[in-house]
Amino acid sequence: MAYVLQQLLTKSAKSYPEKMAVWARGKSLSYRELDQRSNQLAHLLRQRGVQKGDRVALFFPKCVESIVSMLGVLKAGGVYVPIDPQMPADRAGYILSNCGVRILITTTAKLADLMPESRELLETVIFVEGDTAGNQQIAWSKLDEFPAAHAPQVTMVETDLAYILYTSGSTGRPKGVMLTHQNALTFVEWCAEEFQVRSEDRLSNHAPLHFDLSVFDVYNTLEAGATVYLITEDLALFPTSLANFIENQKITIWYSVPSALMLLLLHGRLTPAKLSSLRVILFAGEVFPMKYLRQLAGMSQSSDLYNLYGPTETNVCTYYKVERERLEGMEKLPIGIACANTECFSVMPEGRLAGKGEAGELLVRGPSVTNGYWADPEKTKKMVVPNHFQEHFEEKMYRTGDIVTIGDDGNYYFQGRRDSQIKSRGYRIELGEIEAAILSHPGVREAAVLAVPDEVIGNRIRAVVAPHIPGSLGVLELQQYCASRVPKYMIPELVDLHDELPKTSTGKIDRVKLASEAPVTAK
Amino acid sequence: MIQSAEVKDRIREYVLEEFAKAKGIDQITDDESLTKNGVIDSMGIFRLVAFLEETFGVRVGDEEITHDNLESVNAIEKLVLAKSKK
Repeated sequence: MAYVLQQLLTKSAKSYPEKMAVWARGKSLSYRELDQRSNQLAHLLRQRGVQKGDRVALFFPKCVESIVSMLGVLKAGGVYVPIDPQMPADRAGYILSNCGVRILITTTAKLADLMPESRELLETVIFVEGDTAGNQQIAWSKLDEFPAAHAPQVTMVETDLAYILYTSGSTGRPKGVMLTHQNALTFVEWCAEEFQVRSEDRLSNHAPLHFDLSVFDVYNTLEAGATVYLITEDLALFPTSLANFIENQKITIWYSVPSALMLLLLHGRLTPAKLSSLRVILFAGEVFPMKYLRQLAGMSQSSDLYNLYGPTETNVCTYYKVERERLEGMEKLPIGIACANTECFSVMPEGRLAGKGEAGELLVRGPSVTNGYWADPEKTKKMVVPNHFQEHFEEKMYRTGDIVTIGDDGNYYFQGRRDSQIKSRGYRIELGEIEAAILSHPGVREAAVLAVPDEVIGNRIRAVVAPHIPGSLGVLELQQYCASRVPKYMIPELVDLHDELPKTSTGKIDRVKLASEAPVTAK
Repeated sequence: MIQSAEVKDRIREYVLEEFAKAKGIDQITDDESLTKNGVIDSMGIFRLVAFLEETFGVRVGDEEITHDNLESVNAIEKLVLAKSKK
């Protein structure tokens, strides 16, 4: 049995050496090639000084080399840190310095995007394309010089870190969720069993690789000896192309945020024939509106539909297999019941378990739960708490911050957040992080960032800003300022400028009143 | 008949004002990819199409909303000119 992720590849490379493992933009790698290429990268990384637990960042658009890089880093005993290739330089630089990255795998264009002080931290840069090479810069073709048959010898156990995924942090900086091999494998093994992933399966990978949905796509493919088709931006943005892609590549398992499926339904010119190869459709990351779910169920009669739920810190912790016969009368989609090897509790503020109908916070225990946040013991202590339901030894639980109820059907139902975290296109966003970014602008006196519910993408982001000097700031200027500090999906789409923000009787910004106002800049 | 240069200018200006500038991008060249660097996101594509339909009086079907037709200012201009000839 596999106890580290790269063993999934090694095993499938033995069983299916010539089978296509990964495809992207017309380029593909067989299991043999993926195994050998990642062995070579692992040797190169070791030669450049990578020791067990060292972080290696990946900063480039999705391609087959992304998968080679992930596996190569793991085989070297390292921890990979995928960074959104569209992230502003300031934030990418923060991630590199926060987790002490010295080795970066990137492209020449992405490297040039980084700030000089970030580049200075790097000891080695490996380019996935092009042939630029200097003393500290290594071209991908250099891999040819390293042994392909075996990975370097590194002693590893399942509790070693495998990757760090950065998510929005409420204090203005992203936080790095640390995931071990065991965390990921617990989820992968459950998926393999529940969805019966087989070597004939053709999985799509819609989510970006810094998003935890991709863990299923990549590792369940490797586990089963199946094939993963990476969906790059040129496909993801165009619903009819995407629908044709599903049909032409005969995709059998799809996993994405609901908004991607909704765009397909609204603009993809879908027909049941286009989706006829799909046998499993998984979605997670945000609430799927029932209206669209019914449409999807009608369009894809032969697929099993699953709503998966879980923050990055637990990967997926609950699931609901859509019962087609219940869909017509169902008002709200459940998030379901706990996955195998996972236990969930709904806990009241006073610490007791919530009863039927009571709204409590969802807490999760089990081997899929993170150890916490990189270099942030304080935040870790707040979110990863002792399990007070058993007292004989130390054990952790993760506080999701999500408020749930338990329905008469025994399923959990998501009701809302304990804090100001929101979801937009499945991305997890702390409104506080955007507020902190806006408030750091020297011309801003007060700011509040609010979510405006949107049927398709979940939420749009609206900022209400009062400058020090009325009239001194423009909408575009504020958006551009945000663009230099937060990812594109966190830039407020709507910005209202006020002379002053409304206050409650206790002097706090009156967010309820702001939310009830119609946004001024309807863009 | 719409003039080619005018079409291109208006498309470039729209993309710049509506999408690029808000994302911290001040300049775009006519053959630069608008999709690779996240200038236009999945909802933006449909705002762009609505703009083309309104401004140039053309009708763009869902099946024409493709990477090849919309990936750059040049590609969009080509689409608009081809449609307005019909």
